[in-house]
Amino acid sequence: MTNPILITGFGVVSAIGRNKAETLDALLNNRSGVGPLVYLKTEHKEFPVGEVKMSDEEMRKYLNINDKAITTRTALMGMMALDEALKDARLTPDMLPEVGFISGTTVGGMDMSEQYYLDYISNDSHKEYIKVHDCGSCSEMTAEHFGKFAFITTLSTACSSAANAIILGANMLRRGEADIVVVGGSECITKFHLNGFNSLMILDTKPCRPFDATRAGLNLGEGAAYLVLETEESAKRRGVKAQAILSGYGNACDAFHQTASSPDGEGAHRAMKEALELADIQLSEIDYINAHGTGTPNNDLSESHAVMRLFGDNVPPMSSTKPFTGHTTSASGSIEAAFCILALQHGFVPANLNWSQPMDDGIVPVHQSVNKELKHVLCNAFGFGGNDSSLLISKASEHVPEPVEGVRLATVYVLSAKQISVQQPLCEDWMTQPVEYQAHFNRSIDPSFKEYVSPIEARRMGKILKRAIATSKEAIKASGLDSIDAIITGTGYGCIENTEIFLDALSKEGEQMLSPTYFMQSTHNTISSLVAIQLKNHGYNVTYAHKGISFDSALQDAWLQMQLGKIHSALVGGHDEMTETFYNILKKGGVMGQDEEMCGEAAVSVILGTEKRDSLCKLVNFKMLHKPSAETLKAIAKDFQADYVLTGISGNHKSDEAYLKECKELFGNSILLKYKHLFGESFTSSGIGLYVAAQCLRAGNIPAHLFVNKDEIKGKKPSNILIFNHTDGNNYSLTLLEA
Amino acid sequence: MDELIYKLKQQIIEALNLEDMKPEDIDDNASLFGEGLGLDSIDALELIVMMEKNYGIKLQDPAQGKEIFKSVAVMADFIAKNRTK
Repeated sequence: MTNPILITGFGVVSAIGRNKAETLDALLNNRSGVGPLVYLKTEHKEFPVGEVKMSDEEMRKYLNINDKAITTRTALMGMMALDEALKDARLTPDMLPEVGFISGTTVGGMDMSEQYYLDYISNDSHKEYIKVHDCGSCSEMTAEHFGKFAFITTLSTACSSAANAIILGANMLRRGEADIVVVGGSECITKFHLNGFNSLMILDTKPCRPFDATRAGLNLGEGAAYLVLETEESAKRRGVKAQAILSGYGNACDAFHQTASSPDGEGAHRAMKEALELADIQLSEIDYINAHGTGTPNNDLSESHAVMRLFGDNVPPMSSTKPFTGHTTSASGSIEAAFCILALQHGFVPANLNWSQPMDDGIVPVHQSVNKELKHVLCNAFGFGGNDSSLLISKASEHVPEPVEGVRLATVYVLSAKQISVQQPLCEDWMTQPVEYQAHFNRSIDPSFKEYVSPIEARRMGKILKRAIATSKEAIKASGLDSIDAIITGTGYGCIENTEIFLDALSKEGEQMLSPTYFMQSTHNTISSLVAIQLKNHGYNVTYAHKGISFDSALQDAWLQMQLGKIHSALVGGHDEMTETFYNILKKGGVMGQDEEMCGEAAVSVILGTEKRDSLCKLVNFKMLHKPSAETLKAIAKDFQADYVLTGISGNHKSDEAYLKECKELFGNSILLKYKHLFGESFTSSGIGLYVAAQCLRAGNIPAHLFVNKDEIKGKKPSNILIFNHTDGNNYSLTLLEA
Repeated sequence: MDELIYKLKQQIIEALNLEDMKPEDIDDNASLFGEGLGLDSIDALELIVMMEKNYGIKLQDPAQGKEIFKSVAVMADFIAKNRTK
């Protein structure tokens, strides 16, 4: 038995409504929101879509945001849903510093980047939108409209992003990292992914018909939904009631293909099974399954097989609500979870609209709304790359409080760490003979990849993917482990090279004949899922994309789940690449490459395990914070005192002075170290920081060129090192390693 | 026809980014997918884009590709009959 996770509030925005009341009314009355395109400026008028029926201007007005503010459509929809969720759970701004915010998105600010890309590369107009291109900025913009949350992070696993945000939130509550977290996702339709899905030939020109014999693809949709997850104690203390219970959840990787699901639905099967096992609920107790059911021939067949394998002849009532909303991609996990909560509260099974003919070898969905008391429902969300998740949501009255045993926390070891960066690849030569740079931007020194990927496998891989695979394979080899329980990746900007190629073609050549390869290799979770395919790994698999704490978020996830005993080993990756064009764009936007800062790329793979083995060091404590107050930061820093503090200063940046001052205030007795003057700044350079610290602890020696103050070089042998990452002006992470 | 076949092989290598491969390495009659070259559904989509760009042939249904992309020889035959540019 585990701690129950209460859902004490939620908010939802989609093509069928701006809030819960409108949504419920549409669901009960079979009113679809899918129709001709109105708001998105695209040539592809032939595709029906599920747009939220408001322009950006109307959303801004609705939210009382002034016309000149920098916003993105994904953030605006997110704010609308978050507003409702916070009010519903009676959370006021003064309470937010104790509350975490975890959001899922993949497009982030792409709606603006695709409008202004040609300006970004040629002039200064609209350059203020550059800094909101990435996923993490979108989450922060959404959250900060309401106040200051304790921490913020972003999941980006394509169409299961929001479901995975919910899973992380639940694990954080169970680990005692927070009492309340707001979780979900937001995603607007963009030209970028409409064209991308079109290049994959999986869009239907008619309203989508999931599980129908004539189904011919999906309709894109958009929207946002957030759930407030809360511990029982906290809800009791605040006097709020559970609206539903998150009784179980599962995440597994199909590890089959980057855009197609396996014929037997292995990932989906594992995810659903895991959710049931965690909840300790029997198959016969499931009253309804809200299917992922996109309407593509492949998904619906694969999902049917997974469900039929699991439930045998007793498949529960099942429907896809995508004919109502279109496929809301990264937001679908939380939007459909919200539909499930409404279904539990109001006792009905939503209809699988547009269905008329049974498909071969598939499930027969509920095609007319049925009134029925529901106690336990499964909600599926699957993403490109086989990032499959399933949530088990139960009626609030089904929860019987039981005594909960205290969680015995496992010890976590760093078993191995490998890097490819601007220093010599896959080795520790930088400890004695580092490469020195004069240029402001440098690409990584690559090894030969032939040993790691065959030419036929490499045909679609950009550098970032090859580096991820090479470092992963080397790290696993060095760890001595035969198999890994989870693959967790952090990337600030993802596959930026392919993103640029697709964006460039879209902007210059128009919306015809775009390459599907560049689109599918542009999603952030490509890295993690491709590594899983290479390693044939069906375990937990997610990707974080949150600015300078992307790697840190991945590390936190692995650390939490290991302590909870859910996993015993993990491959944690931090991967970012940079192109000349994007480097110049980001410089223009004030995101990176300022002053004398050195920028590079980073690929780092770390193996964590709960068995000591021949480890590099121990991971003893971790904390992530968003804009903490001085008092909070000081209080937290007390738990992270160490002999050495590895800082994120670059060596000659104008902000170094303030950074060092902060370090001295917080860690007065520690010797300060640096590494970015050698490895450069990248979105996942904190992963390199962990690698550097772990190698120093293992060697029992810190190279002279890492010391901030040369007078301290004859310091003592390191017994512990804190990696203090203060990034983007907003986010902090503290990682304490011990020899 | 031989000229078209050779050209097509070059275009396939370029479209699919088959580094280290030369037209001579592709057998006219070997199957492109599965056992032969080992291409997959995404490659099929790339070939559809390639045919549209170079020969003005627009396929509406990706399933049509199954027949057309059987081998380079079959593909060349189809292009010769249907090309608009």
